[in-house]
Amino acid sequence: MRSYYLLTLAQLRIFLRNRQVLFWTLAFPIVLMVMLGSFLGNGNGVSITAAVVDQDKSDPSKNLIKEFEKTEVMSLENKITEKEALDKLKKGDLTLVITIPEGYGESLSAENKAEPFKLPTYYNETNMAMSQVGLQLVTNTVDSISKKQVDYQPVVVTESKGVEALNLRYIDFLVPGIVAMMIMSNNMNGVAGQISSWRERGILRRMQGTTLKASTFIAAQITARFMLNGLQAMIVLAVAWLAFGIEVRGSWLTVIAFVTLGTLAFMAIGFIIAGIAKTPESAGPIAGFLSFPMLFLGGVFFPIRDMPEFLQPFVQILPIAHLSHALRETMNVGASLLDLGMEAMILGGWLIGAFVVASFTFKWE
Amino acid sequence: METQQEIIKVEGLVKRYGDFTAVDGSEFSVHNGEVFGLLGPNGAGKTTTLEMLVGLRKPDEGTAIVGGFDITKELDQVKEVIGVQLQSTTLFELLTVNEILHLYGSFYREHISIPDLIDDMLLTEKKNSRIKGLSGGQKQRLAIALALVHDPEIIFLDEPTTGLDPQARRTLWDIILRLKERGKTVVLTTHYMDEAHVLCDRIAIMDQGKLIALDTPSELVKNLQSDSAVEFRFDEEEVDVNLSEVDGVKQVGSQKDVHVLYTDDLQKTLTSLIALASERELKLIDLQTRTATLEDVFIHMTGRRLREG
Repeated sequence: MRSYYLLTLAQLRIFLRNRQVLFWTLAFPIVLMVMLGSFLGNGNGVSITAAVVDQDKSDPSKNLIKEFEKTEVMSLENKITEKEALDKLKKGDLTLVITIPEGYGESLSAENKAEPFKLPTYYNETNMAMSQVGLQLVTNTVDSISKKQVDYQPVVVTESKGVEALNLRYIDFLVPGIVAMMIMSNNMNGVAGQISSWRERGILRRMQGTTLKASTFIAAQITARFMLNGLQAMIVLAVAWLAFGIEVRGSWLTVIAFVTLGTLAFMAIGFIIAGIAKTPESAGPIAGFLSFPMLFLGGVFFPIRDMPEFLQPFVQILPIAHLSHALRETMNVGASLLDLGMEAMILGGWLIGAFVVASFTFKWE
Repeated sequence: METQQEIIKVEGLVKRYGDFTAVDGSEFSVHNGEVFGLLGPNGAGKTTTLEMLVGLRKPDEGTAIVGGFDITKELDQVKEVIGVQLQSTTLFELLTVNEILHLYGSFYREHISIPDLIDDMLLTEKKNSRIKGLSGGQKQRLAIALALVHDPEIIFLDEPTTGLDPQARRTLWDIILRLKERGKTVVLTTHYMDEAHVLCDRIAIMDQGKLIALDTPSELVKNLQSDSAVEFRFDEEEVDVNLSEVDGVKQVGSQKDVHVLYTDDLQKTLTSLIALASERELKLIDLQTRTATLEDVFIHMTGRRLREG
């Protein structure tokens, strides 16, 4: 019992004294989260910058600009000449350029127009998707002016309602993914690297020469890594809360349960890699070979439903997919452990399977 | 040295790696309280023998009784009575001397006072330093301290002084001799002759997996039946002379172009050798005489030098 305690303590000391590893394993997820979070986290992913060139300078034209300003998604630039604006559009700095030609105000107040007044709106064809959205917005705004002008009363209107009761942003999606990523890389890559290097350097052999039981050693490894992971996950969640106001909607116990399951499952996979790798140098690439596909396919950064159809069966068995999904459901939606029984079972399956394989492939020397 | 109690009894140990037989049927006993040396060049099977005795490798054949327990059946009990220092082991570099001794102490049912052990191993000043920052000699003393932490009866040291400077070696020798004074049994491997001579009560010489001699250092040298050695080279590469015809020569040991003549009558042999060289118009270079050593025992028995293996 005393050796279990001292081994855990020793492992924690090694973690804490290895400042560089400690810093980078923590800095990487946080920087990634803050970066992705501030770039993509707040809006709905679309923002349009448009320039309005007012050549008319009448009251109606100023009204029109106010209408444009009301659309939240669009940010307007209006103290600009047409030539400058078109240059910027070509460079891609602007999405749209709307020109209000002279005579707009007069045309609006004139009776019995033969033809509608035309507002030239320029867009850059190289960015079709954004241009389409922008054009749609401009059309809607201009429409509303037209409708007001003719006292138009709509007969049918659409009412849009979000299906999810929660208003989820990308950052809400991202944070649980980052926590899952951290658990995966710290444990799988960490165990694989550390154990294979300890084996190479004879540290494990020396311990084998004592009366220490292998099970005590492994139990202490698990405990220390779990404590470290728990701490790191808390720090990431605290940063997420401070920077983006992310909260855990579900129970903390469920979060802890999945952090534990994930830690154990990925540690077991790490032990397998340590068993297969002949040298510490080969442990890194083997761990990378497994962790990279998981990072990009496992629902860490992008939703799994966005993956191509043929990848779906493969993606659905990845342990990280279930870990990130479970954490997401708990944190965003507030799902309970019971709702996530399937995820818990799949992760548990990985855990048991990996430990069985690890116990066959593991070598002390 | 009579009525010695056997504390280790090795019975026909064999270890094979594929076609290669690393240890080929070693048989010997180690007496209680002696320093026992396993001597041989690299690859002779010293380390493999030692690792089988401490339970790190499973013998393919044979067994050994260590401290009264069978290494193939009662390994857990064996581990309680032995302390091990392995060749080129690294430890957890980020822990301090004090921390790692407490950690290793916890692996056993009981351990001795850690501060006393640190003092004994001359590590008092370094007890709160990280292992990373220790010198080679300090690391080696720490490795021995770890072997002693549970007060074992038998201590195995695998090349304890390899790679150390002369002063650090002498410090370690003192430590090993102190262990002997306390009645511990020490089994060590080395390929340094002087070390074996100073430290060991008895020496087993191994070569190519086989035990080729076992005796006290002085008996081994005595068995050469010659006191002195004459060592020299000829200026020319290929020389066809029968050196055993030189007067007083009992044995000839030659390796590559270096020739060694063993003799009891140094003057007679030297005079005769110089006469032979003049007669055949051969030029002698690097001529030196010395008393026969363990190294000569080894060359005599294997036809090879120890260090070059």
